[in-house]
Amino acid sequence: MDDHRWTQQRISQYFDSELTGHGRRRFDRHAQRCAECSRAVRAMRALIYAMQGLGGPAGVHAPATIFSRVRLAGAAGPGSPEQA
Amino acid sequence: MWPLAGQRTKHPGDTEASLIARAKAGDSVAFEQLSSAYADRIFMLLLRLLGARGDAEDVAQEVMLRAWRAIGAFRGKSSYFTWLYRIAVNEANRALQRRARRPASVPIGPDELQLPASGLVDPALHAENRELRAALMRALHDLPSELRTAIVLRDIEGLSTEDAAEIAGLGQAAFKSRLHKARLRMREAIGDDALLASGG
Repeated sequence: MDDHRWTQQRISQYFDSELTGHGRRRFDRHAQRCAECSRAVRAMRALIYAMQGLGGPAGVHAPATIFSRVRLAGAAGPGSPEQA
Repeated sequence: MWPLAGQRTKHPGDTEASLIARAKAGDSVAFEQLSSAYADRIFMLLLRLLGARGDAEDVAQEVMLRAWRAIGAFRGKSSYFTWLYRIAVNEANRALQRRARRPASVPIGPDELQLPASGLVDPALHAENRELRAALMRALHDLPSELRTAIVLRDIEGLSTEDAAEIAGLGQAAFKSRLHKARLRMREAIGDDALLASGG
């Protein structure tokens, strides 16, 4: 597979730190030379960064009713296994 | 009136392992104490996956009920957090399937989410770009549910690939493939020009 296609297919892996050694060098080398791949890398970085900025749990709280059904069912004890 | 989640009687010195043991023995207070630690994150996850607060509240109750009913079968092969998250993802998918079957379902828009910005300094600067934020929420909403699950777990929730794959019920290779597709779809929907202009 040519370097361009190979690089385009691995942009996610690059940002998940799953490219190491030779693969990482091959990616960096091509991305530095190829304007399209360089732009794709920068756009993916911006996307992932922006997604992280969408927010964590701070400021959002579970409703007080989240255990309502557990409390109604609680007297009977845990039921039969469903998922493990 | 019931107390808020996590406000019932606690036993000083309880560990997660002891709470699990007590919950498995039928102690619903221990189950609440155990699960309360993750309640906010579970609810946030459901908001992301379902898009509407009312649906998220309803499904959150169902998640806890299913977890309570299944706690006896929890073997500790994964962490309790991972196990609970997986139930939440499954329940969210069930809810989405039910919604898809409803002939006159009300479309859920990103405006319903009303989510706060992250406490992280640099990403929050990006999130302050309201246009980009709205575009991200629209694009996220428009993703097929399996792709939305992957990108929410990995990029918004910040879970490791290993944990996110387990929660999604996939092998790591399959999960990475979905994540890659989801990111490409998001990039396509928002446009590289807009992303690059955001300064990332």
